[in-house]
Amino acid sequence: MEGATARKGMSARSIAIWIAVGLVGAFAWGVIALARGEQISAAWLIIAALGTYAIAYRFYARFIVTKVLRADDTRATPAERLDNATDFQPTDRRVLFGHHFAAIAGAGPLVGPVLAAQFGYLPGTIWIVVGAVLAGCVQDMVTLFFSMRRDGKSLGQMARDEIGPVGGVAALLAVFSIMIILLAVLALVVVQALADSPWGTFSIAMTIPIAFLMGFYLRVLRPGRVLETTAIGVTLLILAIVLGGYVDGNPTLAEYFTLSPNALVLAIVIYGFSASVLPVWMLLAPRDYLSTFMKIGTIVLLAVGILITLPVMQNPAISKFATWEGGPVFAGSFYPFVFITIACGALSGFHSLIASGTTPKMIEKESQVRTIGYGAMMMESFVAVMAMIAASIIDPGLYFAMNIPGSVLGGTVQTASEAVNGFGFQISPQELQSAADSVGEETLVARTGGAPTLALGISQIFSGFLGGSALQAFWYHFAIMFEALFILTTVDAGTRVARFMLQDTLGNVWKPLGRTSWKPGAWGISAVVVAAWGYFLWVGVNDPLGGVNQLFPVFGISNQLLAAVALTVAVTILIKTGRTKYAWVPGIPLAFDVVNTLSASWQKIFSDNPKQGFFAQSNAFQGLVDKGTVKAPAKSIEDMQQIVTNSFVDGVLVVIFATLIILVLGDAMRVWVRALRGDEGIAVAESEYVESKIVAPSGLIATSEEKAAMANGGHGDRELVGTGGRDGEDDGSERRG
Amino acid sequence: MTVRDAVRNISWYLKEVSGESDYDRWVAHRREHHPGDPVMSRRDYECRRMDDRDSNPRARCC
Repeated sequence: MEGATARKGMSARSIAIWIAVGLVGAFAWGVIALARGEQISAAWLIIAALGTYAIAYRFYARFIVTKVLRADDTRATPAERLDNATDFQPTDRRVLFGHHFAAIAGAGPLVGPVLAAQFGYLPGTIWIVVGAVLAGCVQDMVTLFFSMRRDGKSLGQMARDEIGPVGGVAALLAVFSIMIILLAVLALVVVQALADSPWGTFSIAMTIPIAFLMGFYLRVLRPGRVLETTAIGVTLLILAIVLGGYVDGNPTLAEYFTLSPNALVLAIVIYGFSASVLPVWMLLAPRDYLSTFMKIGTIVLLAVGILITLPVMQNPAISKFATWEGGPVFAGSFYPFVFITIACGALSGFHSLIASGTTPKMIEKESQVRTIGYGAMMMESFVAVMAMIAASIIDPGLYFAMNIPGSVLGGTVQTASEAVNGFGFQISPQELQSAADSVGEETLVARTGGAPTLALGISQIFSGFLGGSALQAFWYHFAIMFEALFILTTVDAGTRVARFMLQDTLGNVWKPLGRTSWKPGAWGISAVVVAAWGYFLWVGVNDPLGGVNQLFPVFGISNQLLAAVALTVAVTILIKTGRTKYAWVPGIPLAFDVVNTLSASWQKIFSDNPKQGFFAQSNAFQGLVDKGTVKAPAKSIEDMQQIVTNSFVDGVLVVIFATLIILVLGDAMRVWVRALRGDEGIAVAESEYVESKIVAPSGLIATSEEKAAMANGGHGDRELVGTGGRDGEDDGSERRG
Repeated sequence: MTVRDAVRNISWYLKEVSGESDYDRWVAHRREHHPGDPVMSRRDYECRRMDDRDSNPRARCC
């Protein structure tokens, strides 16, 4: 059976419905694209996105599942075959969707669109929506599927098995380096959001004792009662945000929690190290519960808020920075950096690590990869669209005053106002000050990194329907808290994952290092990992050119490199299994991704323009240092030397990433040619066929046939009560009959 | 669907997603596949599960 719900032909009614969905979506895109010079409602973006998702999910995702992947629901999944009620266990598709979405959704889809808003909202939105349905969702789903067919193997293992040792090692290196850059960039976002903000710093600091308390409660008092523990934690968290307002208002306390960026770097590094070596039940696990709850809650609230308040877009559809020169928010031309800056939300290589981790070990039915893999990524794409909306309903003058590096804007509202006017946008010093006052911050000038801008947008939306302007400062810090909380959760989990990867690799060289329980090894390797991302974090915070400005493109390139590895593995498997005619499904996103990433790398490596090329930048500043001149934004010779070193290091990183892409792709192409020639010895590492005994629906909502099938001897699944599932009373007769 | 059904469904979903019902499922699994074997208490089970995560960290995405 191909696909669970494959039926011959569509009814006239459903054809009519789908044509209507298509027309509404197309009309919304038309409104967005053609409304030149007038401001449109954010509702059009929502309608266009939802229409596109619906069509893509119904037709394209189904085509991939049935024709390309040939999902077979009579085949037992690893969850069924290897069920041990711990890591392998058949899990309800809706529950697994929740798990998977919570694991893939992070700060990426919230930060990238905010930065890319400098080009106007249209280029970013098109890439988020179209990129997701044609590339990102496809990558997530096919990686999930192929990993599931291999008993949940990781991406690195699949690259080694299907491509070869060179591809495998390159994939492993890619995963490790993206981890380090990711952690540094995300921590940088937190530093930028909390620097000189006593309110934010206090609330975030409070999450540590709250987490300890939750951990103790869950371990000692009420083992396993996750929900009540989370409820207590969230209540305390809200209290911490409220108390933050009082801390902010009290000069003595405020001074105590006003930390400089460098002090915050130190705090985050110490925190990351502790979280990596402490037992997870103390800090990491309870924080994970808190941040997951906050994440889902805020996303839902944001969707509701946008639909209720229907804000109007202030940002132009296409701004004047959509050129080869690029804009002031991050370094890089319009093409290809729109596609690099917005990684998560459209195509995120990092997802392939999640899709080849725990999720494939828990799927009940093969065809459910559509709901879980494709569906969860559509949801993340939608989060990115909302982030784009939140950044675009802010006045453009204020947006640029917040996002241009501080070295360009100067330290005061006056200098910032002049600098922004110089870029052709209007904002007065008074307006800048009152915007900061309205959210309870000292200043909003040069609050780069995306989080403060997003928090401002969110606070405008939330206060529009919950509490009015009196609560705007609360909502701003609520949004900052929500972002910082789950970024720090990514930082502590990521440090731990990177530590295990490194221990695993180094264990091959010297055995004791591979033993994760050996304390000196664990502490030493944790320190190495923390030092690695801590270095980039410190550099980012002190970079005279602006850390986000410099590092975000490097992060984007590394993330897209990982996507290239995942898509290459998918193309390789399709070719090796005789499905070359469908290799275009992952092949087109792969080609697009490789062209974008390599041309971005090319610019970053070879461009003569010091604004674009890292080495040109390094050389230009070195030349000035030799002459003893200081050029803005540097203020001293030390600044100048720092730029020389930073740009050189960033350049070397990009060289490494580009080389890795070429290596993986080259090695894979060798395998493609051998497979196409029909060489002997091309093996596919798929698990054998075992017949499935589980009966479970394929999509998110069970069809009436599926409900009947489950009622007739199905087990292991539970349909919702009151909807005609097997717990409902109305299907009792079917079971008897 | 009545309000009571809705509350039941939501609480079922939250317990599943948060992992609160994992223990019950594990007990059922033990009873079915290893009948007669002693079954860990909830406290021991939760401690063990948490400690497993010490050495099998799950990445959170960007």
